[in-house]
Amino acid sequence: MSALGLVRAHVKVQFLDLLRWPGYVVPTVVFPAMFYALFDLPFARAHAEVADTTALAFIAFAIVGVTLYQFGVGIAQERGRPWERYLRTLPVGAGVRLCSRIATAVLFGLITAAVVAAVARALTPIDLRLLQWLQVLLFSIAGGVPFVLIGVSIGYWTSARAAVPIATACNLLLAYAGGLWIPPQYLPDFVQRISPYLPTRMFADLLWSVTGTGRAPAALTGLALYTLVFAVVATIGYRRDERKRYA
Amino acid sequence: MVLQFENVVKSYGSVRALDGLSFSLERNEIVALLGPNGAGKTTALEVALGLRSPDAGSVTLFGGSPRTLAARRRLGVTPQESGFPDMLAVGEIVAFVRRHYESPADEAQTLEAFGLRDLRKRRAGTLSGGEARRLALALAFVGNPELIVLDEPSAGLDVQARRGLWEFVREPGLRRSILFTTHYLEEAQALASRILVIDRGRLLFDGTSEVLRERVGGRRLTYVGENGPVVLNVGDTDAYVRDLVASGAAFKDLEITKPSLEEAFLLLTGGAA
Repeated sequence: MSALGLVRAHVKVQFLDLLRWPGYVVPTVVFPAMFYALFDLPFARAHAEVADTTALAFIAFAIVGVTLYQFGVGIAQERGRPWERYLRTLPVGAGVRLCSRIATAVLFGLITAAVVAAVARALTPIDLRLLQWLQVLLFSIAGGVPFVLIGVSIGYWTSARAAVPIATACNLLLAYAGGLWIPPQYLPDFVQRISPYLPTRMFADLLWSVTGTGRAPAALTGLALYTLVFAVVATIGYRRDERKRYA
Repeated sequence: MVLQFENVVKSYGSVRALDGLSFSLERNEIVALLGPNGAGKTTALEVALGLRSPDAGSVTLFGGSPRTLAARRRLGVTPQESGFPDMLAVGEIVAFVRRHYESPADEAQTLEAFGLRDLRKRRAGTLSGGEARRLALALAFVGNPELIVLDEPSAGLDVQARRGLWEFVREPGLRRSILFTTHYLEEAQALASRILVIDRGRLLFDGTSEVLRERVGGRRLTYVGENGPVVLNVGDTDAYVRDLVASGAAFKDLEITKPSLEEAFLLLTGGAA
Protein backbone atom coordinates (compact mmCIF):
# COMPACT_ATOMS: atom_id res chain seq x y z
CA MET A 1 0.00 0.00 0.00
CA SER A 2 1.48 3.32 -1.11
CA ALA A 3 1.77 6.16 1.38
CA LEU A 4 -0.66 8.24 -0.67
CA GLY A 5 -3.21 5.42 -0.71
CA LEU A 6 -2.91 5.13 3.06
CA VAL A 7 -3.40 8.87 3.52
CA ARG A 8 -6.55 8.57 1.43
CA ALA A 9 -7.80 5.65 3.52
CA HIS A 10 -7.22 7.59 6.74
CA VAL A 11 -8.83 10.75 5.40
CA LYS A 12 -11.83 8.72 4.32
CA VAL A 13 -12.50 7.19 7.74
CA GLN A 14 -11.86 10.46 9.56
CA PHE A 15 -14.22 12.24 7.22
CA LEU A 16 -16.97 9.63 7.43
CA ASP A 17 -16.72 9.58 11.21
CA LEU A 18 -17.09 13.37 11.29
CA LEU A 19 -19.85 13.72 8.71
CA ARG A 20 -22.11 11.29 10.54
CA TRP A 21 -22.34 13.54 13.59
CA PRO A 22 -24.86 16.08 12.30
CA GLY A 23 -24.89 17.76 15.69
CA TYR A 24 -21.24 18.52 15.13
CA VAL A 25 -21.14 19.11 11.39
CA VAL A 26 -24.08 21.48 10.97
CA PRO A 27 -23.11 24.07 13.61
CA THR A 28 -19.44 23.90 12.62
CA VAL A 29 -20.18 24.47 8.97
CA VAL A 30 -22.89 27.08 9.49
CA PHE A 31 -21.37 29.15 12.30
CA PRO A 32 -18.81 31.23 10.34
CA ALA A 33 -21.35 31.98 7.61
CA MET A 34 -23.89 33.00 10.24
CA PHE A 35 -21.35 35.22 11.95
CA TYR A 36 -20.57 36.77 8.59
CA ALA A 37 -24.23 37.37 7.83
CA LEU A 38 -24.88 38.98 11.22
CA PHE A 39 -21.89 41.31 11.37
CA ASP A 40 -20.66 42.15 7.93
CA LEU A 41 -23.54 41.67 5.57
CA PRO A 42 -25.06 45.13 6.17
CA PHE A 43 -21.77 46.82 5.17
CA ALA A 44 -20.88 44.34 2.47
CA ARG A 45 -24.15 44.82 0.63
CA ALA A 46 -23.38 48.50 0.03
CA HIS A 47 -19.96 48.27 -1.67
CA ALA A 48 -18.39 45.63 -3.87
CA GLU A 49 -14.96 46.43 -2.45
CA VAL A 50 -16.09 45.95 1.17
CA ALA A 51 -17.93 42.84 0.06
CA ASP A 52 -14.72 41.33 -1.34
CA THR A 53 -12.65 42.16 1.72
CA THR A 54 -15.11 40.94 4.33
CA ALA A 55 -16.04 37.73 2.49
CA LEU A 56 -12.36 36.80 2.09
CA ALA A 57 -11.68 37.57 5.75
CA PHE A 58 -14.55 35.32 6.81
CA ILE A 59 -13.34 32.58 4.49
CA ALA A 60 -10.09 32.72 6.45
CA PHE A 61 -12.07 32.74 9.73
CA ALA A 62 -14.02 29.65 8.63
CA ILE A 63 -10.84 27.73 7.84
CA VAL A 64 -9.04 28.82 11.01
CA GLY A 65 -12.05 27.81 13.11
CA VAL A 66 -12.11 24.29 11.73
CA THR A 67 -8.39 23.66 11.49
CA LEU A 68 -7.18 25.28 14.69
CA TYR A 69 -10.14 24.86 16.99
CA GLN A 70 -11.93 21.69 15.91
CA PHE A 71 -8.83 19.66 15.19
CA GLY A 72 -6.93 20.89 18.21
CA VAL A 73 -9.77 19.88 20.49
CA GLY A 74 -10.33 16.67 18.52
CA ILE A 75 -6.76 15.48 18.93
CA ALA A 76 -6.65 16.35 22.62
CA GLN A 77 -9.77 14.27 23.17
CA GLU A 78 -8.77 11.36 20.95
CA ARG A 79 -5.17 10.77 21.81
CA GLY A 80 -5.93 8.82 24.99
CA ARG A 81 -8.56 6.59 23.38
CA PRO A 82 -8.14 2.86 22.73
CA TRP A 83 -8.58 3.34 18.98
CA GLU A 84 -5.51 5.63 18.87
CA ARG A 85 -3.57 2.98 20.70
CA TYR A 86 -4.71 0.36 18.22
CA LEU A 87 -3.71 2.52 15.25
CA ARG A 88 -0.18 2.57 16.66
CA THR A 89 0.05 -1.19 16.13
CA LEU A 90 -0.93 -0.89 12.45
CA PRO A 91 1.79 -0.52 9.82
CA VAL A 92 1.35 3.21 9.34
CA GLY A 93 3.88 5.91 10.15
CA ALA A 94 3.43 9.16 12.03
CA GLY A 95 3.99 11.09 8.78
CA VAL A 96 1.04 9.49 7.02
CA ARG A 97 -1.15 10.05 10.07
CA LEU A 98 -0.18 13.74 10.31
CA CYS A 99 -0.70 14.29 6.57
CA SER A 100 -4.12 12.69 6.73
CA ARG A 101 -5.07 14.93 9.66
CA ILE A 102 -3.97 18.01 7.74
CA ALA A 103 -5.86 16.89 4.64
CA THR A 104 -9.07 16.13 6.56
CA ALA A 105 -8.88 19.44 8.42
CA VAL A 106 -8.23 21.50 5.31
CA LEU A 107 -10.97 19.71 3.36
CA PHE A 108 -13.47 20.27 6.14
CA GLY A 109 -12.31 23.89 6.41
CA LEU A 110 -12.88 24.36 2.68
CA ILE A 111 -16.45 23.11 2.97
CA THR A 112 -17.09 25.60 5.77
CA ALA A 113 -15.48 28.37 3.72
CA ALA A 114 -17.59 27.42 0.70
CA VAL A 115 -20.73 28.18 2.72
CA VAL A 116 -19.39 31.67 3.50
CA ALA A 117 -18.57 32.14 -0.20
CA ALA A 118 -22.06 30.99 -1.19
CA VAL A 119 -23.70 33.47 1.18
CA ALA A 120 -21.46 36.24 -0.13
CA ARG A 121 -22.25 35.33 -3.75
CA ALA A 122 -25.97 35.25 -3.07
CA LEU A 123 -26.37 38.38 -0.97
CA THR A 124 -23.54 40.81 -1.72
CA PRO A 125 -22.10 42.48 -4.81
CA ILE A 126 -18.89 40.47 -4.37
CA ASP A 127 -16.94 40.72 -7.58
CA LEU A 128 -14.50 37.87 -8.15
CA ARG A 129 -13.89 36.12 -11.45
CA LEU A 130 -13.49 32.38 -11.79
CA LEU A 131 -9.72 32.64 -11.94
CA GLN A 132 -9.76 34.67 -8.73
CA TRP A 133 -11.95 32.11 -7.00
CA LEU A 134 -9.47 29.41 -7.99
CA GLN A 135 -6.72 31.55 -6.50
CA VAL A 136 -8.77 31.88 -3.31
CA LEU A 137 -9.11 28.09 -3.22
CA LEU A 138 -5.37 27.57 -3.64
CA PHE A 139 -4.48 30.18 -1.00
CA SER A 140 -7.09 28.75 1.37
CA ILE A 141 -5.40 25.36 1.21
CA ALA A 142 -1.90 26.79 1.65
CA GLY A 143 -3.02 29.19 4.38
CA GLY A 144 -4.86 26.46 6.26
CA VAL A 145 -1.75 24.32 6.82
CA PRO A 146 -0.10 26.38 9.61
CA PHE A 147 -3.42 26.50 11.48
CA VAL A 148 -3.79 22.75 11.39
CA LEU A 149 -0.31 22.55 12.88
CA ILE A 150 -1.23 25.08 15.58
CA GLY A 151 -4.29 22.90 16.23
CA VAL A 152 -2.18 19.75 16.38
CA SER A 153 0.20 21.54 18.79
CA ILE A 154 -2.71 22.50 21.06
CA GLY A 155 -3.98 18.93 20.78
CA TYR A 156 -0.75 17.39 21.97
CA TRP A 157 0.28 19.99 24.54
CA THR A 158 -3.01 20.40 26.41
CA SER A 159 -5.29 17.97 28.20
CA ALA A 160 -8.71 17.03 26.83
CA ARG A 161 -10.37 19.46 29.22
CA ALA A 162 -7.96 22.38 28.81
CA ALA A 163 -8.00 22.12 25.03
CA VAL A 164 -11.50 23.63 24.66
CA PRO A 165 -10.88 26.95 26.46
CA ILE A 166 -7.34 27.28 25.13
CA ALA A 167 -8.34 26.59 21.52
CA THR A 168 -11.35 28.91 21.88
CA ALA A 169 -9.17 31.73 23.19
CA CYS A 170 -6.55 31.25 20.45
CA ASN A 171 -9.20 31.07 17.76
CA LEU A 172 -11.17 34.15 18.84
CA LEU A 173 -8.22 36.36 19.80
CA LEU A 174 -6.32 35.54 16.62
CA ALA A 175 -9.42 36.13 14.50
CA TYR A 176 -10.10 39.48 16.15
CA ALA A 177 -6.53 40.82 16.23
CA GLY A 178 -5.80 39.46 12.77
CA GLY A 179 -8.57 41.62 11.35
CA LEU A 180 -10.85 38.80 10.25
CA TRP A 181 -13.97 40.33 11.82
CA ILE A 182 -13.14 44.03 11.69
CA PRO A 183 -10.88 45.44 8.96
CA PRO A 184 -7.41 45.98 10.47
CA GLN A 185 -7.51 49.75 10.08
CA TYR A 186 -10.45 49.92 12.52
CA LEU A 187 -8.70 47.90 15.23
CA PRO A 188 -7.40 49.73 18.34
CA ASP A 189 -3.90 51.17 17.92
CA PHE A 190 -1.95 48.65 19.94
CA VAL A 191 -3.73 45.77 18.22
CA GLN A 192 -2.91 47.32 14.86
CA ARG A 193 0.75 47.28 15.83
CA ILE A 194 0.88 43.53 16.56
CA SER A 195 -1.68 42.51 13.93
CA PRO A 196 0.76 42.22 10.98
CA TYR A 197 2.76 39.56 12.87
CA LEU A 198 -0.20 37.28 13.50
CA PRO A 199 -0.80 34.26 11.28
CA THR A 200 -4.48 35.15 10.88
CA ARG A 201 -3.55 38.56 9.50
CA MET A 202 -1.07 36.94 7.12
CA PHE A 203 -3.78 34.52 5.99
CA ALA A 204 -6.16 37.45 5.38
CA ASP A 205 -3.44 39.37 3.52
CA LEU A 206 -2.81 36.33 1.36
CA LEU A 207 -6.49 36.12 0.41
CA TRP A 208 -6.80 39.88 -0.02
CA SER A 209 -3.91 39.78 -2.46
CA VAL A 210 -6.32 38.16 -4.90
CA THR A 211 -8.17 41.48 -5.16
CA GLY A 212 -4.95 43.49 -4.98
CA THR A 213 -5.19 44.75 -1.39
CA GLY A 214 -2.68 42.42 0.30
CA ARG A 215 0.90 41.43 -0.40
CA ALA A 216 1.11 37.72 -1.17
CA PRO A 217 4.91 37.16 -0.99
CA ALA A 218 5.24 38.67 2.49
CA ALA A 219 2.16 36.82 3.73
CA LEU A 220 3.35 33.52 2.29
CA THR A 221 6.80 33.95 3.85
CA GLY A 222 5.26 34.66 7.24
CA LEU A 223 2.88 31.70 6.99
CA ALA A 224 5.75 29.43 5.94
CA LEU A 225 7.61 30.54 9.04
CA TYR A 226 4.59 29.75 11.24
CA THR A 227 4.26 26.39 9.47
CA LEU A 228 7.87 25.59 10.27
CA VAL A 229 7.66 26.68 13.91
CA PHE A 230 4.44 24.80 14.62
CA ALA A 231 5.57 21.73 12.72
CA VAL A 232 8.41 21.59 15.26
CA VAL A 233 6.14 22.36 18.24
CA ALA A 234 3.62 19.74 17.07
CA THR A 235 6.34 17.13 16.53
CA ILE A 236 7.84 17.73 19.98
CA GLY A 237 4.35 17.57 21.48
CA TYR A 238 3.65 14.31 19.65
CA ARG A 239 6.93 12.77 20.81
CA ARG A 240 6.37 13.96 24.37
CA ASP A 241 2.90 12.39 24.44
CA GLU A 242 4.36 9.23 22.90
CA ARG A 243 7.06 9.03 25.57
CA LYS A 244 4.52 9.50 28.35
CA ARG A 245 1.89 7.18 26.98
CA TYR A 246 3.99 4.46 25.42
CA ALA A 247 7.09 4.53 27.64
CA MET B 1 12.43 -16.41 14.93
CA VAL B 2 9.19 -14.46 15.13
CA LEU B 3 9.40 -12.90 18.58
CA GLN B 4 12.13 -12.94 21.16
CA PHE B 5 12.24 -11.61 24.72
CA GLU B 6 15.65 -11.51 26.37
CA ASN B 7 15.82 -10.64 30.06
CA VAL B 8 13.13 -8.03 29.68
CA VAL B 9 12.59 -5.82 32.71
CA LYS B 10 9.75 -3.33 32.99
CA SER B 11 8.77 -1.46 36.14
CA TYR B 12 5.93 0.92 36.92
CA GLY B 13 7.22 2.94 39.84
CA SER B 14 8.20 0.42 42.45
CA VAL B 15 6.25 -2.43 40.84
CA ARG B 16 8.23 -4.81 38.66
CA ALA B 17 5.78 -5.96 36.02
CA LEU B 18 8.41 -7.91 34.08
CA ASP B 19 11.41 -9.19 35.97
CA GLY B 20 13.91 -10.65 33.52
CA LEU B 21 11.41 -12.33 31.21
CA SER B 22 12.89 -14.44 28.41
CA PHE B 23 11.09 -16.53 25.85
CA SER B 24 10.84 -16.93 22.12
CA LEU B 25 8.21 -17.72 19.57
CA GLU B 26 8.96 -19.60 16.38
CA ARG B 27 7.23 -19.61 13.04
CA ASN B 28 3.85 -21.40 12.95
CA GLU B 29 3.67 -21.85 16.70
CA ILE B 30 0.51 -21.20 18.70
CA VAL B 31 1.55 -20.15 22.17
CA ALA B 32 -0.66 -19.46 25.19
CA LEU B 33 0.56 -17.03 27.82
CA LEU B 34 -0.90 -17.95 31.18
CA GLY B 35 -0.59 -16.35 34.58
CA PRO B 36 -2.64 -15.09 37.48
CA ASN B 37 -3.99 -11.52 37.44
CA GLY B 38 -1.13 -9.07 37.75
CA ALA B 39 1.46 -11.62 36.60
CA GLY B 40 2.65 -9.31 33.82
CA LYS B 41 0.79 -10.85 30.85
CA THR B 42 -0.63 -7.57 29.57
CA THR B 43 2.68 -5.77 30.01
CA ALA B 44 4.45 -8.57 28.14
CA LEU B 45 2.05 -8.18 25.21
CA GLU B 46 2.35 -4.39 25.25
CA VAL B 47 6.12 -4.65 25.12
CA ALA B 48 5.90 -7.20 22.30
CA LEU B 49 3.67 -4.81 20.31
CA GLY B 50 5.88 -1.78 20.87
CA LEU B 51 3.24 -0.02 22.95
CA ARG B 52 5.71 0.01 25.83
CA SER B 53 9.47 0.00 25.81
CA PRO B 54 11.42 -2.21 28.21
CA ASP B 55 13.61 -0.69 30.93
CA ALA B 56 16.26 -3.34 30.31
CA GLY B 57 16.72 -6.38 28.11
CA SER B 58 15.69 -6.63 24.49
CA VAL B 59 12.59 -7.46 22.49
CA THR B 60 12.86 -8.32 18.82
CA LEU B 61 9.90 -8.79 16.52
CA PHE B 62 10.83 -10.35 13.17
CA GLY B 63 14.44 -9.51 13.89
CA GLY B 64 13.89 -5.80 14.57
CA SER B 65 12.29 -3.37 16.97
CA PRO B 66 8.52 -3.85 17.39
CA ARG B 67 8.15 -0.14 16.63
CA THR B 68 9.39 -0.39 13.05
CA LEU B 69 6.93 -0.37 10.17
CA ALA B 70 8.60 -3.48 8.76
CA ALA B 71 7.74 -5.45 11.92
CA ARG B 72 4.19 -4.06 12.11
CA ARG B 73 3.46 -5.07 8.52
CA ARG B 74 3.70 -8.69 9.66
CA LEU B 75 1.64 -8.22 12.83
CA GLY B 76 -2.08 -8.38 13.56
CA VAL B 77 -3.57 -7.19 16.85
CA THR B 78 -7.03 -6.93 18.42
CA PRO B 79 -8.10 -3.46 19.52
CA GLN B 80 -10.03 -3.02 22.75
CA GLU B 81 -13.62 -3.62 21.75
CA SER B 82 -14.87 -0.46 23.45
CA GLY B 83 -12.79 1.82 21.29
CA PHE B 84 -14.11 1.80 17.72
CA PRO B 85 -15.05 5.07 16.05
CA ASP B 86 -18.80 5.07 16.80
CA MET B 87 -20.00 6.28 13.44
CA LEU B 88 -18.05 3.92 11.19
CA ALA B 89 -19.74 0.78 9.89
CA VAL B 90 -18.31 -2.66 10.62
CA GLY B 91 -17.48 -3.22 6.93
CA GLU B 92 -15.74 0.17 6.70
CA ILE B 93 -13.53 -0.54 9.70
CA VAL B 94 -12.55 -3.98 8.37
CA ALA B 95 -11.78 -2.52 4.91
CA PHE B 96 -9.79 0.31 6.48
CA VAL B 97 -7.54 -1.98 8.52
CA ARG B 98 -7.18 -4.37 5.59
CA ARG B 99 -5.73 -1.59 3.41
CA HIS B 100 -2.66 -1.38 5.63
CA TYR B 101 -1.41 -4.81 4.61
CA GLU B 102 0.30 -5.98 1.46
CA SER B 103 -1.32 -9.39 1.02
CA PRO B 104 -4.45 -9.27 3.17
CA ALA B 105 -7.10 -11.93 3.64
CA ASP B 106 -10.30 -11.79 1.62
CA GLU B 107 -12.63 -9.22 3.14
CA ALA B 108 -15.88 -11.08 2.61
CA GLN B 109 -14.42 -14.33 3.93
CA THR B 110 -13.11 -12.64 7.06
CA LEU B 111 -16.49 -11.03 7.74
CA GLU B 112 -18.13 -14.41 7.23
CA ALA B 113 -15.67 -16.26 9.46
CA PHE B 114 -16.34 -13.97 12.42
CA GLY B 115 -20.08 -13.83 11.94
CA LEU B 116 -20.02 -10.23 10.78
CA ARG B 117 -21.54 -10.57 7.33
CA ASP B 118 -24.98 -9.43 8.40
CA LEU B 119 -23.48 -6.69 10.57
CA ARG B 120 -21.49 -5.17 7.71
CA LYS B 121 -23.56 -1.99 7.58
CA ARG B 122 -24.02 -1.59 11.33
CA ARG B 123 -22.35 1.35 13.03
CA ALA B 124 -19.65 0.30 15.48
CA GLY B 125 -21.27 2.38 18.21
CA THR B 126 -24.38 0.18 18.17
CA LEU B 127 -22.65 -3.21 18.48
CA SER B 128 -23.19 -5.43 21.50
CA GLY B 129 -20.20 -6.55 23.56
CA GLY B 130 -19.93 -9.89 21.79
CA GLU B 131 -20.32 -8.36 18.32
CA ALA B 132 -17.64 -5.77 19.05
CA ARG B 133 -15.40 -8.55 20.28
CA ARG B 134 -15.85 -10.43 17.00
CA LEU B 135 -15.03 -7.28 15.04
CA ALA B 136 -11.87 -6.81 17.11
CA LEU B 137 -10.81 -10.38 16.34
CA ALA B 138 -11.57 -9.98 12.63
CA LEU B 139 -9.21 -6.98 12.54
CA ALA B 140 -6.33 -9.06 13.89
CA PHE B 141 -6.83 -11.62 11.12
CA VAL B 142 -7.86 -9.49 8.12
CA GLY B 143 -4.31 -8.40 7.25
CA ASN B 144 -3.31 -12.05 6.97
CA PRO B 145 -0.22 -11.29 9.08
CA GLU B 146 2.51 -13.74 10.09
CA LEU B 147 2.02 -13.10 13.80
CA ILE B 148 -1.30 -12.55 15.50
CA VAL B 149 -1.40 -11.35 19.09
CA LEU B 150 -4.68 -11.81 20.96
CA ASP B 151 -5.33 -10.57 24.48
CA GLU B 152 -8.05 -12.71 26.08
CA PRO B 153 -9.54 -13.63 22.68
CA SER B 154 -12.62 -15.44 23.91
CA ALA B 155 -13.57 -13.16 26.79
CA GLY B 156 -17.15 -12.05 26.17
CA LEU B 157 -17.81 -14.59 23.42
CA ASP B 158 -20.68 -17.04 23.65
CA VAL B 159 -19.94 -20.75 23.31
CA GLN B 160 -20.74 -20.83 19.61
CA ALA B 161 -18.55 -17.84 18.77
CA ARG B 162 -15.74 -19.30 20.86
CA ARG B 163 -15.85 -22.58 18.94
CA GLY B 164 -15.83 -20.61 15.70
CA LEU B 165 -12.76 -18.71 16.82
CA TRP B 166 -11.00 -21.93 17.81
CA GLU B 167 -11.66 -23.44 14.42
CA PHE B 168 -10.31 -20.36 12.76
CA VAL B 169 -7.17 -20.30 14.91
CA ARG B 170 -6.47 -23.97 14.25
CA GLU B 171 -7.26 -23.75 10.55
CA PRO B 172 -4.57 -25.78 8.85
CA GLY B 173 -2.65 -24.52 5.86
CA LEU B 174 -2.33 -20.96 7.11
CA ARG B 175 1.28 -20.28 7.93
CA ARG B 176 1.22 -17.99 10.89
CA SER B 177 2.10 -17.78 14.55
CA ILE B 178 -0.32 -16.86 17.29
CA LEU B 179 0.42 -15.57 20.77
CA PHE B 180 -2.56 -15.27 23.09
CA THR B 181 -3.36 -14.76 26.75
CA THR B 182 -6.31 -16.49 28.33
CA HIS B 183 -8.01 -17.21 31.61
CA TYR B 184 -9.48 -20.42 30.23
CA LEU B 185 -7.06 -23.27 30.70
CA GLU B 186 -9.30 -25.39 28.50
CA GLU B 187 -8.64 -22.93 25.70
CA ALA B 188 -4.89 -23.04 26.21
CA GLN B 189 -4.99 -26.82 26.14
CA ALA B 190 -7.19 -26.95 23.05
CA LEU B 191 -5.31 -24.43 20.94
CA ALA B 192 -1.74 -23.97 22.06
CA SER B 193 1.17 -26.02 20.86
CA ARG B 194 3.13 -24.56 23.75
CA ILE B 195 2.24 -22.95 27.05
CA LEU B 196 4.14 -20.22 28.87
CA VAL B 197 3.28 -19.65 32.52
CA ILE B 198 4.44 -16.40 34.04
CA ASP B 199 4.04 -14.97 37.51
CA ARG B 200 5.49 -11.81 39.07
CA GLY B 201 7.05 -11.00 35.71
CA ARG B 202 9.06 -14.20 35.49
CA LEU B 203 8.77 -17.30 33.34
CA LEU B 204 7.78 -20.28 35.48
CA PHE B 205 7.10 -22.83 32.77
CA ASP B 206 7.68 -23.24 29.05
CA GLY B 207 6.43 -26.42 27.38
CA THR B 208 3.42 -28.40 26.24
CA SER B 209 0.29 -28.80 28.33
CA GLU B 210 1.12 -32.52 28.69
CA VAL B 211 4.45 -31.74 30.30
CA LEU B 212 2.82 -29.14 32.52
CA ARG B 213 0.37 -31.70 33.81
CA GLU B 214 3.11 -34.23 34.39
CA ARG B 215 4.90 -31.62 36.48
CA VAL B 216 2.41 -32.07 39.27
CA GLY B 217 3.35 -35.72 39.47
CA GLY B 218 1.24 -38.52 40.85
CA ARG B 219 -2.40 -39.19 40.19
CA ARG B 220 -5.59 -38.00 41.69
CA LEU B 221 -7.48 -40.69 43.51
CA THR B 222 -11.06 -40.31 44.69
CA TYR B 223 -13.51 -42.70 46.32
CA VAL B 224 -16.33 -42.75 48.80
CA GLY B 225 -15.15 -44.42 51.99
CA GLU B 226 -16.76 -45.25 55.32
CA ASN B 227 -16.48 -41.63 56.47
CA GLY B 228 -17.54 -39.98 53.20
CA PRO B 229 -15.72 -38.88 50.03
CA VAL B 230 -11.93 -38.96 49.90
CA VAL B 231 -9.72 -37.01 47.48
CA LEU B 232 -6.01 -37.75 47.48
CA ASN B 233 -2.96 -36.95 45.44
CA VAL B 234 -0.86 -40.11 45.44
CA GLY B 235 2.54 -40.95 43.98
CA ASP B 236 2.10 -44.72 43.66
CA THR B 237 -1.59 -45.36 43.11
CA ASP B 238 -1.13 -49.11 42.58
CA ALA B 239 0.38 -49.58 46.04
CA TYR B 240 -2.27 -47.39 47.60
CA VAL B 241 -5.11 -49.39 46.06
CA ARG B 242 -3.54 -52.72 47.15
CA ASP B 243 -3.27 -51.41 50.72
CA LEU B 244 -6.82 -50.09 50.61
CA VAL B 245 -8.21 -53.45 49.51
CA ALA B 246 -6.03 -55.34 52.00
CA SER B 247 -7.27 -53.16 54.88
CA GLY B 248 -10.76 -54.54 54.31
CA ALA B 249 -12.35 -51.11 54.64
CA ALA B 250 -15.55 -50.53 52.65
CA PHE B 251 -15.25 -48.16 49.66
CA LYS B 252 -16.94 -47.47 46.34
CA ASP B 253 -16.67 -45.27 43.21
CA LEU B 254 -12.90 -45.51 43.04
CA GLU B 255 -11.46 -43.24 40.36
CA ILE B 256 -7.91 -42.49 39.34
CA THR B 257 -7.23 -39.48 37.12
CA LYS B 258 -4.27 -37.50 35.89
CA PRO B 259 -4.11 -34.05 37.45
CA SER B 260 -5.89 -31.41 35.36
CA LEU B 261 -4.12 -28.52 33.74
CA GLU B 262 -5.83 -26.28 36.22
CA GLU B 263 -4.36 -28.14 39.16
CA ALA B 264 -0.94 -28.03 37.58
CA PHE B 265 -1.32 -24.33 37.02
CA LEU B 266 -2.47 -23.68 40.58
CA LEU B 267 0.43 -25.66 41.96
CA LEU B 268 2.91 -23.78 39.81
CA THR B 269 1.66 -20.31 40.68
CA GLY B 270 1.08 -20.99 44.34
CA GLY B 271 -2.67 -21.26 44.25
CA ALA B 272 -3.64 -17.96 42.67
CA ALA B 273 -5.58 -18.55 39.46
